[in-house]
Amino acid sequence: MNHQTLIAILLLSPLIGFLINGLRYKSTNYVIAGTVATLAVATSFVCAIMLFLGLVDAPVESRRLTADFFNWIAVDNFKINAGFVVDQISAIMILIITGVGSLIHLFSIGYMHHDKGVTKYFAYLNLFVFNMLILVLGDSLLTMFVGWEGVGLCSYLLIGFWFSDSAKAAAGMKAFITNRIGDGAFLLGMFILFMTFGTLNMYELNALAPTTVEASWLGAVTLGTLLLFVGATGKSAQIPLYVWLPDAMAGPTPVSALIHAATMVTAGVYMIIRLNPLFIAAPNTMMVIATIGAATAVLAATIGLTQYDIKKVLAYSTVSQLGYMFLAVGVGAFGAGMMHLMTHAFFKALMFLGSGSVIHGMHEEQDIRKMGGLKKYMPITHATFFMGWLAIIGFPLFSGFFSKDEILWKAFSSPRGHELFWVAGVIGAVLTAFYMTRLMALTFWGQSRVDKNVHPHESTALMTVPLIILAILSVVGGFVGVPHVIGQYLGHIPNFWEHWLEPVIKAIPANEMTAFHSENHEALEWSLMGTSVSLAMISALTAYMFYIVKPGASEKFKKLLGPIYNLVNNKYFVDEMYFAGIINPIIRQSKNLWQYVDVNFIDKMTYWTSDVVNGGGKVVRSFQTGNMQQYAMYIGVGLVIVLSFVLMR
Amino acid sequence: MSADAFLFWFLSLLVLVSGLSVVLLTNPVYSALCLAMTMVGVSALFVTLNAYFLAGVQLIVYAGAVMVLFVMVLMLFDLKHETQAFTRGKITGAIKIASVGILAGLVVGAITIGKSLENIKAVADNAQAADTTKILSENLFLKNVFGFEALGVLLLVIAVGTVALSRSKGGTHAK
Amino acid sequence: MQSSDILSTIGLEHYLVVSAILFAMGMAGVLMRRNLIVMMMSIELMLNAVNLSFVAFSKFNNNSEAQVMVFFVMTIAAAEAAVGLALAVAIFKRFKEVNIRFFEHLKG
Repeated sequence: MNHQTLIAILLLSPLIGFLINGLRYKSTNYVIAGTVATLAVATSFVCAIMLFLGLVDAPVESRRLTADFFNWIAVDNFKINAGFVVDQISAIMILIITGVGSLIHLFSIGYMHHDKGVTKYFAYLNLFVFNMLILVLGDSLLTMFVGWEGVGLCSYLLIGFWFSDSAKAAAGMKAFITNRIGDGAFLLGMFILFMTFGTLNMYELNALAPTTVEASWLGAVTLGTLLLFVGATGKSAQIPLYVWLPDAMAGPTPVSALIHAATMVTAGVYMIIRLNPLFIAAPNTMMVIATIGAATAVLAATIGLTQYDIKKVLAYSTVSQLGYMFLAVGVGAFGAGMMHLMTHAFFKALMFLGSGSVIHGMHEEQDIRKMGGLKKYMPITHATFFMGWLAIIGFPLFSGFFSKDEILWKAFSSPRGHELFWVAGVIGAVLTAFYMTRLMALTFWGQSRVDKNVHPHESTALMTVPLIILAILSVVGGFVGVPHVIGQYLGHIPNFWEHWLEPVIKAIPANEMTAFHSENHEALEWSLMGTSVSLAMISALTAYMFYIVKPGASEKFKKLLGPIYNLVNNKYFVDEMYFAGIINPIIRQSKNLWQYVDVNFIDKMTYWTSDVVNGGGKVVRSFQTGNMQQYAMYIGVGLVIVLSFVLMR
Repeated sequence: MSADAFLFWFLSLLVLVSGLSVVLLTNPVYSALCLAMTMVGVSALFVTLNAYFLAGVQLIVYAGAVMVLFVMVLMLFDLKHETQAFTRGKITGAIKIASVGILAGLVVGAITIGKSLENIKAVADNAQAADTTKILSENLFLKNVFGFEALGVLLLVIAVGTVALSRSKGGTHAK
Repeated sequence: MQSSDILSTIGLEHYLVVSAILFAMGMAGVLMRRNLIVMMMSIELMLNAVNLSFVAFSKFNNNSEAQVMVFFVMTIAAAEAAVGLALAVAIFKRFKEVNIRFFEHLKG
């Protein structure tokens, strides 16, 4: 079948799943709901594989499959079609979304089977996949924005899934509103780009991107891309709009795995990679992106050190790893950023699902202070989580190692990079290793602090099989993008990843390359790699010491750091600052406006209007005296007037 | 002054004075009687206009039937004096009289100013004393026979309706 | 002389003037009098005035159609008087008054 049909099935399959489950939303039959939903996403996965193979077969210059379904907007010279494009970048994305998505759907059947709203849950999940696919496949910024908004909506619906708990509902609202602020900036960015280039089609934008870079901060491309990036910070949880992601852990755990680890939060990174020629033409924007990415990576990692909720640790870890991705695209390493996106999807989804398995086995317990020694109760969960842990701390030859080290090297060596970015990245890696080892130690290893009445058990096959698959991917997933310096010693493994993405990633202009970049720096790369890996391993070992070998050491350290610990533990009081500085003043202003404008002024205007009409009515009513002779008089007077007109003419 | 003219002036004076009395007298029975006088005067005017049949019909129908009906109903009411015979309200009264006067003035002015009436003056003397009754009946029964029959039906309906009205128990607001 | 001409030769306009004045008096009666019966009598007066003008036109235009019209008008006037009086009787039976100052039910 031709690729238009494949793209159509890919998109419509989750939509049909949503409609089927949506119409039966009151049913508690999780078997039907789960099967329908999983089959829908699995169908899309099969289509994604076929499209990917279609791309592989095609010659390098024409690796692009398009489908134009209908004309959506046609106003004057502004034409947007419902067009979808599968090229090198989006092929990877749809594989991740549908593949990891199918596994998460499978996991959800086991996780949510006792919930009363299980059909509604699966309907929302399918709707989310549909919107995410629109986001990555859309060929214009506006089509992508449709999916952008749609995933924001589904994120709200799923985070606030148990909305009878007002805290969970508030978390959903926080996610949506923070997202919307970012979306406002996204819209402004689209306006500026449309004004400058006259089109929103991404290929045309990339073709029209200026080849000479913009030096000023107020250039159209810089402003437009900067605003698009602000939108990305909302969606992908960077400073300043990251505050929703830790709260989003109020939703069911598979939702956190799908939306807040593997797919939705990567939308911002994806958008930047898509439009990389535009961003390359705006070095100021890229510097901002890299700085914010690095800062977020470090900030989130520090907060993750202090959290006791297993999901919150993973949430801050996600924010931190997203910071790495933005750091990568900020220094021009778009391929490395994309690769980290993929490997992060594998190991972070794995760890979220693993934590879901732990929570399920511990009967909804999420505090890691009440866990410990779960290794012997949940062997499969532990083994798979172990793989994910090795991947995220960057243990050599696991997937996370390849992607993270590529980012660190590019942060150091790229013409748009800086040594300080590398330092920040290494600090982030050290902290990541520490808190992830802490998590492992407190949850799975060491003495059991489990409550006497809780009997942890391993999860069913429905939940462990996805974990195993994701663990395998976390181990071997990195080998598609082995950097040349390592690959040459491992039997000349080529860097598939870089070759695959080369046609769509624009290189940094040649005039920015200094002498430094033209030489071969194998030795430098090896030494930097060695430094970062060894520092991470030392940090992991330290964490092991703190929590397993000498359990009291962490408490002493906490007391030592006193006020600093308090600051970090309270997330640097960012939420409180936002409330005091922005949200509460707005609420006060709204109340004032309601009081003084709405009630006093507008309501009075409406009363005044009705009074006028009433008064007018009274005046007119005075004609109706009921005195028939007066009516006859009016007739007579009228007759006289008409006659006089007729006769005087 | 010829006999025609004298007759005309006398009769029109009679008619106008009686008509004024109808409006101005407060006792309704007196008004009714003056109205009868007016009818008779108008009938006489018909005669001077050579409409003999119509003069007879006027006398029989109007002065003989309608006025009798009026007087009979007035007798039913037994009104000796009229409290508040004319409208209150000086301003509206003034407007009414003014409008009536202006109306009369307009019409009279229109009539006398109209130049086309000069031609008709000449025709006046050629008025034939033809057998107007015959011509009238031909017109009525041949050309306008439908209207004539319809009039008959109308009278029938009126008769039935009047009986129904007077026998009814007072309409929708009756207790 | 014009003035003697007007007085001695009776033309159409004389009759029409009489008719107009009679009509005006009838209208004044309808507007000014408050007794229901007197109002109806004033209406009869107006109809008579109209009849007079019709007959005058009939004579001076040598047209007998106008006399047919008078015939019809007379019949209808009689019918209308009958109905009006029946109504007046019904009103008197109900309200014991025929002075229209008591009947301002249309007052808005």
